[in-house]
Amino acid sequence: MRQGGTGVALPPPSYVLPAREKVILSIAPSALPIGMRAIEKRFGSVSVLRDLNLDVAAGEFLTLLGPSGSGKTTLLMILAGFIRANAGSIKVGDDEIITTPPHKRNIGMVFQNYALFPHMNVFHNIAFPLKQRGVATAETAQRVEKALELVKLQGLGERRVDQLSGGQRQRVALARAIVFEPRIVLMDEPLSALDKGLREHMQIELRALHRRLGMTTVYVTHDQREAITMSDRIAVMNAGRIEQLDKPETLYAAPKTQFVAGFIGESNFMPVECHDGTVWYEDRRIHTATPAPAAGRHLMVVRPEKLRLVTPTEPSNGINVFDATVADIIYQGDSFVCYVSLRDGRQLTLRDYCRGDVLARLPAPGQPIRLGLEAQDTILVASEG
Amino acid sequence: MSAQSALLEETAGGVGEHLNAQALRADARRESLRLLALLSPSLFLVCAIIIVPIGWLFWLSLFDETGALSASNYARFFEQASYIKTFVTTFKVAFIVTGACVLLGYPLAYMLSQLPRRAASICLIFVILPFWTSVLVRTYAWLVILQRKGLINSWLIDLGVISQPLSLANNLSGVVVGMTHILLPFLVLPLYASMKTIDTDCLRAGMNLGAGPVATFRQIFFPLSLPGLASGVVIVFVLCLGFFVTPALMGGGKVVMWAMRMEQTTSLYSNWGAGAALGVVLLVVTLALLGLFRWLLGARATGVWSSR
Amino acid sequence: MNRTSSFKAFAIAGLAASVAVPAVAADTITVASWGGTYQEAQTKAFFKPTADALGITIKEDTTNGLDDVRLQVTGNAVKWDITELGADECARGSKEGLFEKLDYGIIDKSGINPKLVHDDWVGISYTSVVLIYRTDVFGDKGPKTWADFWNVEKFPGRRALSSSQSTETLSVAALASGLPIDKVYPVDIDGALKSVDKIRGHIDAWWTSGAQAMQLVKDGEVDMASIWNGRAGTLKKEGAPVSFSFDQGVLTADCMVIPKGAKNKEAAMKALAMFVSPQLQANLPLYVDNGPVNEKAFETGKIPQERIKDINSSPENVKKQVLQDAGFWRDNLVEATEKFNNLIQQ
Repeated sequence: MRQGGTGVALPPPSYVLPAREKVILSIAPSALPIGMRAIEKRFGSVSVLRDLNLDVAAGEFLTLLGPSGSGKTTLLMILAGFIRANAGSIKVGDDEIITTPPHKRNIGMVFQNYALFPHMNVFHNIAFPLKQRGVATAETAQRVEKALELVKLQGLGERRVDQLSGGQRQRVALARAIVFEPRIVLMDEPLSALDKGLREHMQIELRALHRRLGMTTVYVTHDQREAITMSDRIAVMNAGRIEQLDKPETLYAAPKTQFVAGFIGESNFMPVECHDGTVWYEDRRIHTATPAPAAGRHLMVVRPEKLRLVTPTEPSNGINVFDATVADIIYQGDSFVCYVSLRDGRQLTLRDYCRGDVLARLPAPGQPIRLGLEAQDTILVASEG
Repeated sequence: MSAQSALLEETAGGVGEHLNAQALRADARRESLRLLALLSPSLFLVCAIIIVPIGWLFWLSLFDETGALSASNYARFFEQASYIKTFVTTFKVAFIVTGACVLLGYPLAYMLSQLPRRAASICLIFVILPFWTSVLVRTYAWLVILQRKGLINSWLIDLGVISQPLSLANNLSGVVVGMTHILLPFLVLPLYASMKTIDTDCLRAGMNLGAGPVATFRQIFFPLSLPGLASGVVIVFVLCLGFFVTPALMGGGKVVMWAMRMEQTTSLYSNWGAGAALGVVLLVVTLALLGLFRWLLGARATGVWSSR
Repeated sequence: MNRTSSFKAFAIAGLAASVAVPAVAADTITVASWGGTYQEAQTKAFFKPTADALGITIKEDTTNGLDDVRLQVTGNAVKWDITELGADECARGSKEGLFEKLDYGIIDKSGINPKLVHDDWVGISYTSVVLIYRTDVFGDKGPKTWADFWNVEKFPGRRALSSSQSTETLSVAALASGLPIDKVYPVDIDGALKSVDKIRGHIDAWWTSGAQAMQLVKDGEVDMASIWNGRAGTLKKEGAPVSFSFDQGVLTADCMVIPKGAKNKEAAMKALAMFVSPQLQANLPLYVDNGPVNEKAFETGKIPQERIKDINSSPENVKKQVLQDAGFWRDNLVEATEKFNNLIQQ
């Protein structure tokens, strides 16, 4: 699944969704896929989204990840119907919804600031979508109760919104977005207002809830760690385009552009030359696992944890070895970070866990060392200047 | 001596309390005293320009023109039917004008709140502009527009819509038009301010959850704008009760409101107490109404609805 | 000092302390009148010539009427040496003992209607309430008498009367009921009220100020009205299509008093004597439509002959009008006004 797809229905992703543990709500019998084609959006003369194409599989948890201004929130708002695109098509299942007003889209949404109705208590907030759909009072009460149970807020229905903690509000917003069994749920940085511990906890809960209910979910965040933790797939957005759409592990292991490599995880970038099917850093031949790309200047992405300290006696056949000097070493409890300088002055970062054998030969600042990098851990991307 | 050692010594001295509890309490007291000192100018003002004069007014109302303690100033309301009439007229006008302000002001404030910031501030200038003209001038302007040979009647007659001029001035309708014009900003400004604080995401959430534009307005926007509407309504209503110039000029002597009656009474009886009694009655009834209003809103707040 | 006024005194003491009245030299007096064009005319007619003649300085102020005087006198903060009031206010104030006795050894009262010469107040000028109608509605066949005004069949049209000047309206109502001008006083209040009751349903506006009465007639909001002759004269000068005469007019006097405790009583007495003298009285109609209170003014030769017929207090015109009886209203004002207000506000 690539941007610029043909518009032909695509096969479901190769990974297998975990089986639903238990159907709590009589959730949408079948979650629906979303297909976005050639979405264009300009604000005045500023182009925010350019020829954007994106398919979300039924039941998938897909994250739009990017820095602010990348267009991810705009795309979500267009999906929800709050912003009108200048051109394009959005299909949910077989239905075109690009001109459907928001209240007829049947899409649940969790807002960044939760957007709970301050004049209603928890119960009425959650019952709101059911009321709009004319659900009977008794059934409403039942479904709200179940939704509250699902987000672990049993018995808090009569609370006023301003009596809730941030985390509780988040859960109410979530309950309200799913109680009417939408086929699609959108989330706009729903955890960004929570503190770190609670955020990580909610990430796991959200993920679990998604597995239980299986609704197609589009999630927006600028936090790459959050994206990696929760998503089936991540669309990395930059300047109104999708740079790369892949599973988290693929994105991490095989970023296709310098931007993606830089945005997902930590990276060392080393400029390399390619010619005659070989790759060179300065005057050193780099061993790579994949065939060298076209001739010219490229960037080699080196993840800090893929670098390791090599003993002077260790044979260096098949691996890339660099001579360097330790600039500083920072102990972080479970791991340490080592800042080193290559002979040409290039700064690299190395990270490793504090295992006994590593700790035993931890170098001191100023000490010359050798760095090893396996051929399979080299990643080459186009140099973006 | 370092601060720390001073603290230690205090405990060593056997104060018998938790560490520094006394010093911390004193500090808290000093802080509230400082706050009180900050408040004192406004407290003094409130006392000097509100509480003292009202107390004096009440005191005066208890004496007749010979200076004897007497209920005659109050008895007059029951002896003379026209006082009740005036009282009813006053509240009738206040209700009608407040209603007219709500009908005109709510859509206006709503429109203002939906406009882009720049356009809204330009329109707001037009809302506030009448404030810079005196009430007298505006009232006369309405007279020019509404009277028998005024603009409206001339146009309507020229257009052949009517053959006899309509009675728009020198009666209740003139008073209502004039007062509504003057009081409209007092409703629009607080209402607009409260509408601006309504989170757009709440409205989006409403639509997202299946409420159409009308339902979103009715179930979310309107209830959230109620606090602003309530304060606007209270301001307009209370100001209405004390109106003098506009009803005096636009009412043609046929719409006599309480403040006009106060003026009449004070000059007729050569006795402050006579007018003061009218003031006291108006004050008490107004406070009672506001209390009722609060109670009604409060009853809502404890139910399903809650104020922010 | 009675109880109520002691409270007023208390309130005013603070005021007085903050305004700290400076010691006024004996040759400076302060005179308060109604302000506006009327007071400007008085300045030219009375105040300036008096100041010049006596070699004193006359400072001017404006008043709202008896309440102001009462406040000053009961509060022992008398700012004025002379103040103008309506005649009924003078009568009431006199009863309350708010004024100094006048010295008719200094003030020459000859030529002034004895009804306006009292121990502690003296008339200063006249205003008339007249019937005005629009000639663009009635031509010259408009209502000439108050009975005509009351006759809604013969003279259909929109009408205005004064609600604030209850005593004047009651006199008008008495005339409308057919009483000749010399039988109006003492006013049969209940009879007059009955007369008001007949017309009140046909009144389109009750005016409370001279400006309002003028505006109602000028803009054609009403076709006929009771109005003060000064305002009526102004309308005519402005070219409005109106007609009025002094027939069945209600003549109301203004008076002047020296508030009790005035700082410069002697100088004030001399000034007041000048104000009511025929020479200065004759100046007044040169500047304003209010007539002189001293009929000898018409003998000074200062007033042009063609002007005399337009002056409400000329000997000719006085005969056509009813003079408001200040003494009568002193005793009946409150009761009559209460009843009047209750009636028209029903």
